[in-house]
Amino acid sequence: MAEVASNGGQEGALVEIENLRVWFPIKSGILLDRHIGDIKAVDDISLTIRRGETLGLVGESGCGKSTVGRTILRLYEPTGGRIVFDGQDITTLNQNQLRPLRRRMQMVFQDPYASLNPRHSVGRIVGEPLRVHGISGKKDTSKRVRELLEVVGLPADAASRYPHEFSGGQRQRIGLARSLALNPDFIVCDEPVSALDVSIQAQIINLLENLQSDFELTYLFIAHDLAVVRHISDRIAVMYLGKIVEISAAAELYDEPFHPYTISLLSAVPIPDPVVERERETILLAGDLPSPANPPPACRFHTRCPYVQPTRCKEDEPPLRRLAPGHVVACHWAEEIREGKIRPKEVTPELVQQVQAAAWEPPPV
Amino acid sequence: MAVDHREIALPQGELGGESSVAAAGAPLRRSGLWRDAFIRFTHNRAAVVASVVFGLIVLYCVVVPFVSPHDPNAVNFKDAYLPVSPDHPFGTDKFGRDLFTRIAVGGRISIAIGIAGTIAIMTVGVLYGSIAGFLGGAVDDVLMRLLDALYGLPYLPFAIITTQILSPSGEVTFWTMVAALTVASWLTTARIVRGQVTTLKQNEYVSAARAVGARWYRILSRHLLPNTLGVLIIAAFLDLPGVVLGEAFLSFIGLGINPPTASWGSIAQDGRAAFVLHPLVLFIPSLAIATLVLCANFIADGLRDALDPRTRAERA
Repeated sequence: MAEVASNGGQEGALVEIENLRVWFPIKSGILLDRHIGDIKAVDDISLTIRRGETLGLVGESGCGKSTVGRTILRLYEPTGGRIVFDGQDITTLNQNQLRPLRRRMQMVFQDPYASLNPRHSVGRIVGEPLRVHGISGKKDTSKRVRELLEVVGLPADAASRYPHEFSGGQRQRIGLARSLALNPDFIVCDEPVSALDVSIQAQIINLLENLQSDFELTYLFIAHDLAVVRHISDRIAVMYLGKIVEISAAAELYDEPFHPYTISLLSAVPIPDPVVERERETILLAGDLPSPANPPPACRFHTRCPYVQPTRCKEDEPPLRRLAPGHVVACHWAEEIREGKIRPKEVTPELVQQVQAAAWEPPPV
Repeated sequence: MAVDHREIALPQGELGGESSVAAAGAPLRRSGLWRDAFIRFTHNRAAVVASVVFGLIVLYCVVVPFVSPHDPNAVNFKDAYLPVSPDHPFGTDKFGRDLFTRIAVGGRISIAIGIAGTIAIMTVGVLYGSIAGFLGGAVDDVLMRLLDALYGLPYLPFAIITTQILSPSGEVTFWTMVAALTVASWLTTARIVRGQVTTLKQNEYVSAARAVGARWYRILSRHLLPNTLGVLIIAAFLDLPGVVLGEAFLSFIGLGINPPTASWGSIAQDGRAAFVLHPLVLFIPSLAIATLVLCANFIADGLRDALDPRTRAERA
């Protein structure tokens, strides 16, 4: 962990997470709920988000990335570890003590349909943070709401309309306006574009970037779309099954991923060049994501890792190690993989090939 | 996935990331949830007819006692069991009281008990259900199991016992009736509200309100309860006939409001003994009860289609 800390640099850190664990209890029984296990959604992760940067957090569905974002805002209670926001430990603050801090950290949600109350007008939705914090009078609120709507590119008369009158992209703008209402320093963007059409995604991403430079925002950008994350992030953290497996500067991660999981993730991204696309090596992962209630011991990725070795992988848990400046990875064999000493196992999707072969019969003339 | 034309109508410049006021572009349809619901309601013919009939019955009950020349409680044996005539459109009862006026007076009591009872049921049900649904966990378990136990009690005996407990002297007043019928029938509303709140609190806009720092009562009163309103209105129109019917039944078996205060149930009871010779005295109040109950059910049905269009799509 020492590397992460020095890598993050305490000076510019806005949000620091240390050994964060978020476990959700699994209960069973009719009368008395017996505690029979835990979903280890987030299991001992440490992260530093520097002031003014965008940290991308990627991983497949169910790896715990949204849980991290929501726990930083204390929408979920951490099971263990520490969350430090701008030098203040917020892990154990109660909701009343937390309220002043909520002005400084906000969230943009994934689903633009579920995140806006259908019974509230847009003006009321965007103005709610102001009212909750008793910041301004009625007249000031409506003025501020109009300002905010303009900032996110909506007409001022949108304030009197209702969410169902807007499209997905417009709704996401409303959600953004709400999160900006209190002039926050830090915004958790929980897959803000994954529910939108690709053409609309670009607009929202550009808007997020403009807002970041205009208002000096810090983002935790959670996504599963690697292209989007690459575009917006300064640094990227890759999560697998409740653990962080790799953190690096965005460009570096794409140029030279160290962790087998990152390597296979990136190899799954199609390249819009048919020649390169045909030539390049893709690494397929076998199997499904194991259950976070009962994660594999030692390295959690060993059950699916194409580089898995007979030693160490199944015995020791790999710590995050620093392999290059600002680039940490949790893999015992990262150096060997980088130097090409270990080759990936060939995983052939036999079923897929069979289906494709069957489909390739020449069509009847 | 449905293509949204409003988004496509965005000006080209927006793709460059320029924030412009005109970004939302094309004029938007101005409408409200309630207006849409009203339009859907008017398309349901049965519900519209039922509303009109319901309105006429209420109007009749309110207006007639003011304009009628007859005193609904004046006893005059000379006029007992008069047939239908222009002076007595429904005839008279065994005490010579004008039935047309008495039905209106009785209707006032029946409908007033129905409305007061429904409001009381809504109040208790919303309080109980929203506490259970909002707090969840062990509190929810305890409150709901208690409710299940109360569900085991039969409706009318429960109401009758409550009237006896509330008025040991046997003098049953308007408010005793309301209280007794409420105690016996708030359970379903509480369950509905609890279910709604439990579902609604999972919505991301509730998380958003929490992230903003909204306190629990704000989340409950601004975000959760207004969203249950549609379902509550429907539930109210489904509860109303139950209360009216319950009151009529209790009055009919002589456990309702004490005479001479008339209600539809007690007028029907008066007519029961002589119904072979003078069927109108039993028939008219029964018809009034049946019509009101039927109308309320049709209105509830229309409201459900109007306020919750998803269920209609599923049923169709």
